[in-house]
Amino acid sequence: MKFTLKVWRQRGPDDKGRFAVYEARDVSPDMSFLEMLDGVNQSLIPTDEEPVAFEHDCREGICGSCSLVINGVPHGPDRGITTCQLYMRQFSDGATITIEPWRARAFPIIKDLVVDRRALDRVMQAGGYISINTGGAVDGNVLLISKEQAENAMDAASCIGCGACIAACKNASAMLFVAAKVSHLAALPQGNPERARRVMAMMEAMDREGFGSCGNQYECEAVCPKNISVRFIATLQREYLRAGIVESGLRTEPDSADQESA
Amino acid sequence: MTRLDAKIPSGPLEAKWDRRRFSEKLVSPANKRRIKIIVVGTGLAGASAASTLGQLGYDVECFCFQDSPRRAHSIAAQGGINAAKNYQDDGDSVARLFYDTIKGGDFRSREANVYRLAQVSTQIIDQCVALGVPFAREYGGQLANRSFGGVQVSRTFYCRGQTGQQLLLGAYSALCWQIERGRVTMRPRTDMLDLIIDEGHARGIVVRDLVTGQITAHTAHAVVLATGGYSNVYYLSTNAIGSNVTATYRAWKQGAAFANPCFTQIHPTAIPPAETQQAKLTLMSESLRNDGRLWVPTALSDRRAPGAIPSSERDYFLERRYPGFGNLVPRDVASRAVKSICDEGRGVGPGGQGVYLDFSDVIEQQGADVVRERYGNLFDMYRRITGEDAYQTPMRIYPAPHYTMGGLWVDYNLMSTVPGLFVIGEANFADHGANRLGASSLMQGLADGYFILPYTIGHYLATTRLDLPVADHSVSRAAVERVTGRLNKLLQSSGGRTAASFHRELGRILWDHCGMARSDSGLNRALREIPSLREEFWRSVVVPGSGETFNQELEYACRVADFLEFGELLCHDALYRKESCGAHFREEHQTADGEPQRDDERFAHVAAWEYREDGPPILHKEPLTFEFVQPTTRSYQ
Amino acid sequence: MQRVGWFRSSSGNRVVISLTGLGLVGFVVFHMLGNLQVFEGPDALNTYAAMLRDMPMFLWTARIGLLGVAIFHIALAIQLVLRNRRARPVGYALREYRHASVASRTMALTGSVLLVFVVFHLLHLTAGLADPSGNNRLDAGGHADVYGKVVHAFQNPLYVVIYLVGQLALGVHLSHAVSGSLQTLGIEHAAFNRLFKAAGPAVALLVVFGNLAIIFAIFFGIVRA
Repeated sequence: MKFTLKVWRQRGPDDKGRFAVYEARDVSPDMSFLEMLDGVNQSLIPTDEEPVAFEHDCREGICGSCSLVINGVPHGPDRGITTCQLYMRQFSDGATITIEPWRARAFPIIKDLVVDRRALDRVMQAGGYISINTGGAVDGNVLLISKEQAENAMDAASCIGCGACIAACKNASAMLFVAAKVSHLAALPQGNPERARRVMAMMEAMDREGFGSCGNQYECEAVCPKNISVRFIATLQREYLRAGIVESGLRTEPDSADQESA
Repeated sequence: MTRLDAKIPSGPLEAKWDRRRFSEKLVSPANKRRIKIIVVGTGLAGASAASTLGQLGYDVECFCFQDSPRRAHSIAAQGGINAAKNYQDDGDSVARLFYDTIKGGDFRSREANVYRLAQVSTQIIDQCVALGVPFAREYGGQLANRSFGGVQVSRTFYCRGQTGQQLLLGAYSALCWQIERGRVTMRPRTDMLDLIIDEGHARGIVVRDLVTGQITAHTAHAVVLATGGYSNVYYLSTNAIGSNVTATYRAWKQGAAFANPCFTQIHPTAIPPAETQQAKLTLMSESLRNDGRLWVPTALSDRRAPGAIPSSERDYFLERRYPGFGNLVPRDVASRAVKSICDEGRGVGPGGQGVYLDFSDVIEQQGADVVRERYGNLFDMYRRITGEDAYQTPMRIYPAPHYTMGGLWVDYNLMSTVPGLFVIGEANFADHGANRLGASSLMQGLADGYFILPYTIGHYLATTRLDLPVADHSVSRAAVERVTGRLNKLLQSSGGRTAASFHRELGRILWDHCGMARSDSGLNRALREIPSLREEFWRSVVVPGSGETFNQELEYACRVADFLEFGELLCHDALYRKESCGAHFREEHQTADGEPQRDDERFAHVAAWEYREDGPPILHKEPLTFEFVQPTTRSYQ
Repeated sequence: MQRVGWFRSSSGNRVVISLTGLGLVGFVVFHMLGNLQVFEGPDALNTYAAMLRDMPMFLWTARIGLLGVAIFHIALAIQLVLRNRRARPVGYALREYRHASVASRTMALTGSVLLVFVVFHLLHLTAGLADPSGNNRLDAGGHADVYGKVVHAFQNPLYVVIYLVGQLALGVHLSHAVSGSLQTLGIEHAAFNRLFKAAGPAVALLVVFGNLAIIFAIFFGIVRA
């Protein structure tokens, strides 16, 4: 097979960037999309031209590194997969394929198709955890968690943090990502003590990073490689409303006795 | 001169770990904040260690080459994690998990280490549950288990097929908390390229910032390597593309002994390579062998479609050779059988690399729906990758390098032969002997990171000096110069070959001669071919761009350069170990019917190799004594 | 402090937009139902209008309340749109939507059209500034002849076209807004999700059909003075 690639090239964050056109020849339909790009790079390197930078690691759809917008859709034309799981037999021979990076203010471009997604880590650091120390945990069976509850938590927890939801959203909103994280921990009793604090902190961090807001268009769900449902966004909103009410009813200033002991 | 002292506590097996924890010196809480620890790698071992050390009050600096700590390759582990909880009341115990692991490792691991691993395993599950890991549950709300890897008890905990991901996200979330509290400084997109040693102690690392290209020295009171395994030395493996040997190999060149590098596990059921550009192999769950039957055409040049070959002309080779266990023989046995069939020229698919894994019998007997229910996601994955429908036509599978039991030598405290350099997770050699059981790697990574290293590192820190070499100290400068010198050399060479072409060639040499079956002549040939390939590499590799920018090709070429040296060490060790044990199979050492022959007389020891600048590495032996279990022979016929 | 932060956040913002929006939807439905009395003849509609005017406290409270709600809704929406524009400074060269409906992608546009339309509508039929011809007529019962004014208006093709555009914008806006608001308020349940999803288009159709029925009935002479 043979393809014409229109690839976004950008030397660094300050470069304006432009599309470059490459021919991908001798492509086998059994190649993954990234192997096809490898092939293009292998032909560029001996000519001392810098290969196209793109992110990838596990190449089996779980690490969440790969991040290409292919013909206007994050992770390309197939559904429920990451770019590394996309195979060339999905394309018709001779087609022109446009490849762009994730685009969002919160994801500045590092080079070519590689973007900086640390904003997602910072949202996690704001509260995406259960703050318990190592050691001293009670026996795992002390907390009984129904199968349905565990499955629901797992549905949310399977997010790989690739950022396709943000890339696909018209508003570059990170709501599905935050929803998955918040819903995972809110679905489990272990997450309960910090439930209100967590959702407030993560939402605040999300806004701080410059992501847009949810427009209920559900484009995120349609491109999510793990098919994470937008119902978790409703869960997130519920958690947020609840937290707003709970927080306003609780003292937030520690009283003097607490301060002394601290 | 390196001396191997495993520092195993005396006393009964059950009490060793408690004794060690009691006899260790503690660091005073006031001092902890002034003590800096570097952790390299953020997989299960690294992330759990960094978060726990941060929680204990140390000043932790944590490095990973990925853009986020959450993407380390632990995330790809599917099956599960073992723990001796005995929730199923099926006779499991710490002692049984210990024995299974020792036996699975073919009696090439330390009793004390493995026992401690089994002891700690139960705590891991509790810790992970508390962190919010959504383990599978029964309807009654208790934790669910499955049996895994041919053991007779159900002790494997799992989160669907994404156990590694969920455990890593748990450790990552704990790490996030410590980052937020300012206890851990996280440095993603940095590549460790060298180790700084001051007066014989590990005191820091040299890293390259993968975005700016800046080379900097970072000093600390101790360095923890959690940098994973080296399966990618074979080029095609199930590891992530970025997984590499550089950190441990650089540490080796600075004096840390490398133990048992030849113990590499090859997983039998991966999807075979389809074309020459292929960059990695995808693993299919081992559970497929529960219902699928492996076969190849009996005739050498039978090119008919599988459905057109009558069963009388099929060779169900595992069932023929191992009537007792049939298609369920352990990983190493199955892998070797597949390879020998393909070497005979009876393999199927592109390049004759593959055998059929056929489900037609079970579909006929129990219906396609049953199969779909059990393996639906695997069949879907197979179709996506190969474009073939395994309900209609048999799957094709082929073995793939998967895990490396070998690694930097560590004592009972997980410290390498370089004081202050600790090694945890897959990067060390300690617990799996010559072969790892399924669902044990996650257990070991978290045991090391959450529960073992945080204790044992304290003793070293309590007894070491607290002043640090500064970043522009002469030893740091020398290390930085070593790194820049190498990078410049790579950038200046101006041939016309890509780093990938060398990596592929190296992988081919090692796969052929140091893969599933190894021989004296093959290994000697590899030892002749690798140095000349390496010379060719330094002569004619081309790396475009500069070192001062984001340059993925430079990162990669650096790793390939280290693989080209490390491959030789791998072959040295394989050549030295003149026995067949676990995943290491020497053709000269087999029984008349092709079964491996272990040699406990001569090889019941750890082979730890010390780097020497001028000449082959020096061998040190750590004898393995078995006080509590009796080595037996594995037999699957 | 905490609560101010809550409202300022993008999600708190959206909750307020949803609540105010749903309030406005309630008004629109009520307004449409009231206007349907045009089919019962001049007496019914004019008496209804007179009844509202006879309760000035209620009328003005409602009017000011509605204005406040609308201002909140619009101001926060503008703030949100600006924030969303900033969230992606460089767009894609090629873009393909899989799920997002046309309605969902044009909320700002339909919202703006609606705003212009509502202002016109108020000037036209409420204040009578756009077409003062029928302002001070009384009907047989001595009430202000709202009926006559409405009938007069929709006999004019120009007004019909303007109102059609307004109804189109209203319908498209509501078809996404109602279901979206439920999601924003966290109202989601596996058993009722299809109902919630259908709520938007259903309400939109109801309101638009009701209003269009009046306009067309007059234009085609089914309802006449």
